[in-house]
Amino acid sequence: MNNTLLELKNISYKYKNNLILNKVNLKIYSGEKIALLGKSGSGKTTLISVLNGTIKPTQGEVKLFNKSFEELDRKQKRKITTIWQDLRLIEDLSAEQNVNCGLLAENNFYFALKNLLNISSFKMAHKYMQLCRLHKSIYDKQIRNLSGGQKQRVAIARSLIQGSDILLADEPFNNLDPKLITTIKNLLLENVDKNNIKKSPKTALVTLHRLDLLNDFDKVIGIKDGKIFFNIKRNNLKKLHLDKIY
Amino acid sequence: MNKLKLNYTSLSFLPILVCIPLGYQLINNIHFGGFKLFQELLISAFNPKIDNEIIIIVIKRLNETILIGFFSWLVSIIFGAIFGIISSNIFYKIFNIPNFFCRIIRFFLTIIRSIHEVVWGIVLMQIYGINFSLGIIAICIPYIAVNSKVFAEQLETIDYKSFESINQINAPNLSSLLTIIWNPIINTFKNFGLYRLECSIRSTVILGLFGFGGIGTSIFLSFQTLNFRELWTYLWSLAILIILSGLIFKKIKFNNINKILSILLIVVFFITILFSFSYFLYFIINNNFENFNSVTSLFKSSSDLGLLDFLKLILETIILSLLSTGIAISLPPLVIGIFNNNTSKIFIKIFAFLLRLIPTPVILLILLTFNNPSLSLAALTLGLHNAGITSKLLFTNLESQDRRNYIAMKSLGISKKTSWLLGLFSQQAKSYLAYCAYRSDIIIRETAIVGVIGSIGLGWQLQESLSSFAWQEVTIVLISYSSIAIVGELINGKIKNSLT
Repeated sequence: MNNTLLELKNISYKYKNNLILNKVNLKIYSGEKIALLGKSGSGKTTLISVLNGTIKPTQGEVKLFNKSFEELDRKQKRKITTIWQDLRLIEDLSAEQNVNCGLLAENNFYFALKNLLNISSFKMAHKYMQLCRLHKSIYDKQIRNLSGGQKQRVAIARSLIQGSDILLADEPFNNLDPKLITTIKNLLLENVDKNNIKKSPKTALVTLHRLDLLNDFDKVIGIKDGKIFFNIKRNNLKKLHLDKIY
Repeated sequence: MNKLKLNYTSLSFLPILVCIPLGYQLINNIHFGGFKLFQELLISAFNPKIDNEIIIIVIKRLNETILIGFFSWLVSIIFGAIFGIISSNIFYKIFNIPNFFCRIIRFFLTIIRSIHEVVWGIVLMQIYGINFSLGIIAICIPYIAVNSKVFAEQLETIDYKSFESINQINAPNLSSLLTIIWNPIINTFKNFGLYRLECSIRSTVILGLFGFGGIGTSIFLSFQTLNFRELWTYLWSLAILIILSGLIFKKIKFNNINKILSILLIVVFFITILFSFSYFLYFIINNNFENFNSVTSLFKSSSDLGLLDFLKLILETIILSLLSTGIAISLPPLVIGIFNNNTSKIFIKIFAFLLRLIPTPVILLILLTFNNPSLSLAALTLGLHNAGITSKLLFTNLESQDRRNYIAMKSLGISKKTSWLLGLFSQQAKSYLAYCAYRSDIIIRETAIVGVIGSIGLGWQLQESLSSFAWQEVTIVLISYSSIAIVGELINGKIKNSLT
């Protein structure tokens, strides 16, 4: 539990003169399950984008495995996977093709071509889609023809299939019914999966709005106006903490 | 008094004012020497020559046209896609290459597409002599650049967030690029590729008029010998080819491409690239430069062209473009608006089809039967041909438009013409003007063709300079053409952006 995987040092991010993140310091250790709480517009999504290297902070330093993003090779960068709030799936591709995109990193160009031509193997993709409770009938359907909940689970399957060590998830339970939320939450946070396929990510940072989902997390971070207000163990979370950020 | 307010609808009609100076010059230049010929030409349209001999010629010529058109289309669409990818921002983002190279490639492609295929053809013919494959090469050069622009524009529409999400998977660059661009490329090919095949066939016909083979050559020869019945046999057979190809295109569905067909398309893609490169090398190695000694001759040969003469030619070309664009924009809505009933619409559609079908040099030659050569006549020719194209688009858009406003206005007792103008056309005016801005880019390039035939502007000078192998003059004319087209494209780009 003591290895630092991700570290943010004095991170600030400005966009069009608005300070979105304000001097954020954060350490994420191996195996931690962290819930990130905060109102809409508090900077949660930006924080995730900084953590996965999509956004370069205006100020400060981001370190993954004690190296800055520029120093990392492609293999090391692959150790992070992200479930985006807006899903970011490729609308014209089918659900199984989108899930297969998660395997692009460990395969060559020929695999990408076969995937687009719809002639690649979808065995692995189907396993993960099954895990995410996606019905067989939607495997070959284009993303644009799926419901919000189905899209959400395709994005989760695409992320899980990458087999990364660190999962960053931005409100992954949106559009899901209560039964599915429990299933998906277990899938995201459990270290060992049920189908004897790759392990789900060991370390997770998940943004949430619903407090009843906090049970399985080790730590809770509260963010407001781009500043971290608290970073505590879940058991220590009190009402006064929440009052600070909501 | 209220101030005159210009909106998209009035802007669509305003350019018709070009008809005032144009009409004045045309009336002054009228002659009746060719009236009989014109009458004969019209009658021949209903009585084309049909016998075994001509049918064999038609089949042979159409085969040549299809061959040149198809191969130039195939090569230009594939290389257009490749150049489109390497001139799009997404390519440089994925491979982390400075965007500066993207701008250089785009500039280079802009220059290439600014020169019409006929000009490329004539120049290449002067350098290499008559050669069957020159037609394909002449079409491919500007078409690759035109297609690359369309592909690049489509790739710019890729959602940046999808790009980020694929990029974040950290796959090999080539895999990420392919996954991101695949659908925009396929969609562009579906929506735009087949239209370009029709364009390739039309360009083949026009090049044929200049001696590059195919049915265009037969059309030109039959016109030169005033054999109008034969001329119409060729024109009607060309019409059948275009209508048939249009019907076939409509039947082709790309939505359910099976695996075998996908692999076949990939194979065709790579074979075309391989074949094009090998042929290009073969062409360079095996062709003698018949009339072209060295690159230095471009700068050493003397030119008798005075600066003032040259500026006059440039001005003529610009005026020609403006007048033609005015006609192409305003004539279709004006005619459709005035003759707004079902019978008239059928006649307008047939007339517009004929204007699209008959190559511009032939329209010009027909008009010369009752008018002296002038800038106005060349502008009228180019304007009419392009009005045929813009009217097709306008008809298609108007027919697919929601008619509730139009019906509501008519039910209020408003006249049919006013209801059409305010209830139907006004909603189309903006997109129609945006398309016309794109069309005017093409009109600028096409001034070269009418210039060569109608002794107007830089096109005429190009023909003269090439005939006397004055390579320095040729270079100056080509640079001027390119500059006018590039400036025109920049202005039209700004107009298009403000309209879309």
